[in-house]
Amino acid sequence: MTSPAGRGTTSRARHGRDIAVVAFAQTRHSRRTDEMSEVEMLMPVLHQVLSRTGLRTGDIGFTCSGSSDYLAGRAFSFTMALDGVGAWPPISESHVEMDGAWALYEAWVKLLTGQSDTALVYAYGKSSPGELRDVLTRQLDPYYTAPLWPDSVALAALQAQALIDAGETDEPELAGVAARSRRDAAANPHAQLQGEVPRGRHLVRPLRVSDCPPIGDGAAAVVLAAGERARELCERPAWIRGMDHRIEAHGLGVRDLTRSPSTRLAAEHAGLFERPVDTAELHAPFTSQELVLRRSLDLDARVRVNPSGGALAANPVMAAGLIRIGEAASRIHSGDSDRALAHATSGPCLQHNLVAVLEGEPHAG
Amino acid sequence: MPPVLRAPLVVEFPFTRSLGPVQSAFLTGLRERTVLGVRTVDGRVLVPPVEYDPVTADEIRDLVEVGATGTVTTWAWNEHPRPRQPLATPFAWVLVRLDGADTSLLHVLDAPGPDAVRTGMRVRVRWARERTGAITDIACFEPYAGEPAGPPHPHSGSFPEPVTGIVAPARLDYTCTPGRAQSRHLAALDGRRTVGERCPSCRKVYVPPRGACPTCGVATDEQVEVGPRGTVTTFCIVNIKAKGLDIEVPYVYAHIALDGAGLALHGRIGGIPYDEVRMGLRVEPVWREGSRHPDHYRPSGEPDADYDTYKELL
Repeated sequence: MTSPAGRGTTSRARHGRDIAVVAFAQTRHSRRTDEMSEVEMLMPVLHQVLSRTGLRTGDIGFTCSGSSDYLAGRAFSFTMALDGVGAWPPISESHVEMDGAWALYEAWVKLLTGQSDTALVYAYGKSSPGELRDVLTRQLDPYYTAPLWPDSVALAALQAQALIDAGETDEPELAGVAARSRRDAAANPHAQLQGEVPRGRHLVRPLRVSDCPPIGDGAAAVVLAAGERARELCERPAWIRGMDHRIEAHGLGVRDLTRSPSTRLAAEHAGLFERPVDTAELHAPFTSQELVLRRSLDLDARVRVNPSGGALAANPVMAAGLIRIGEAASRIHSGDSDRALAHATSGPCLQHNLVAVLEGEPHAG
Repeated sequence: MPPVLRAPLVVEFPFTRSLGPVQSAFLTGLRERTVLGVRTVDGRVLVPPVEYDPVTADEIRDLVEVGATGTVTTWAWNEHPRPRQPLATPFAWVLVRLDGADTSLLHVLDAPGPDAVRTGMRVRVRWARERTGAITDIACFEPYAGEPAGPPHPHSGSFPEPVTGIVAPARLDYTCTPGRAQSRHLAALDGRRTVGERCPSCRKVYVPPRGACPTCGVATDEQVEVGPRGTVTTFCIVNIKAKGLDIEVPYVYAHIALDGAGLALHGRIGGIPYDEVRMGLRVEPVWREGSRHPDHYRPSGEPDADYDTYKELL
């Protein structure tokens, strides 16, 4: 087999097998989905992503999902979500209590082992039943941090102020990130916040309402396939050239919040710096975090950042990272991108970061 | 489509957590108005202290006492405190590098307004009046104009009656909405009817319905009234009295296949001595005034069902 795009040698030497994102689907994300249970919200997305490849559940070699029971307060909700897959006869399946980007990572590793040729990855988050800002405090260190109930906006605001103090940004620049994201989201039919969004009051100063992601419900699904199988299922597969994730210390006061060394390291291991990318889908729920990521990844003005609008346009927790990979892959599927970066984050102030590098083959002719 | 049902849901759990030697010393120290840090392999002082070096992962046990005064390294003004946060009035979240420490501690600062807060300002600990050995023994920080504390000095970490564990209560409040299928089911129960949903693919009727056929992975959207009578497919005899449950033991808990249902649900069997309940027994629901579910099932008086009629539902 010749290497796709004539550049696969490095990545094949690194990974042994070429694996691609061949299909992606997501919900129209919204503030509430009171009329739907989690599986009722997720199921149409599963059907869409399968129908795009013509695959049925029984054809899929491995299924992996990401979600958190804390969001909707429903114990073992992921087992009920599995009802939407149709897991009979019994399927090979796994779940991570993390963003679906990490479920995709697990599925990628599974495919690399050669144990299967296709994988279904999905993620969902229904934040509307609870108070998301409070819910997310429960992921923090339980001894020194969680007893203070520092909410997600407060922690991001500490990071934003550290950036401002370091002279790396100011409120107008943050406002610019917010405006660009929602403007781009106008072309994204799945986005929750689109177009002109007022900056609003300070939620936790220096962050204003418009610097923060919308809270909402949503789901997403991706199909991965290896080698020739990927070419059969997709006209222009988005080949995963590399993927890596790294985590930083949990103590916020130990970290330099103005930098993201874990993102940088993951990007190096994913091969990002071997050649420039034309597109980057960054999982930056807060405006200030996009600036940290851009600097850590050396992204300059030539790179189209978050054409989907990013997490500032829709941030269904547990799915938003997987959506970055799906959005980047979609741009490769459509020919709008030849080499794209997708990033996902987890934990407070960009604690844990995943970077994937995706490529399309050259267009015929 | 019935209206969306809503109900408050409170998830509350106290986590009982044991402390290692470093966390125990730190939290006991707070109880005694003493702030301890730990020295890393490269000689930095971490406050709050951890048990393993964040860079090298070495076990670190070299404790030092640092000042109760420090410098704000970053801050964020919280105009609208949320429940359970340390102060009920507007405050600043702060990272504070205590005098003698090389890293910062997350806490809150009591200040009159955002104009009174800046990075680099000097602050000191305001101790809680009642201290138990918890991070909240620091009530908050407050502005401080006095002299900085001296360099850190070694500390044994020993205190009388050390705190060895914490109880971390957590409470999250939700508004639960059950979704389409369960809403239809609950609405029907209100009229004492049991309604399941049929899978359009395999035709199985699910009771209670969850919205999807777990075998086929498709939505169940055809409502089918089942029961009210059914057949005991299997059962057990309960001999342990459940806490807070007003039912005398022994009693029988059974799987009951309601007529027309594709799977059994479970319920208590009453109106018959426990040792006379058997597979195939025909039963009917007994409702209590004001109850949303059958209280229990009792014999219907019909002859027992033939095994072949329910063997697929076991």
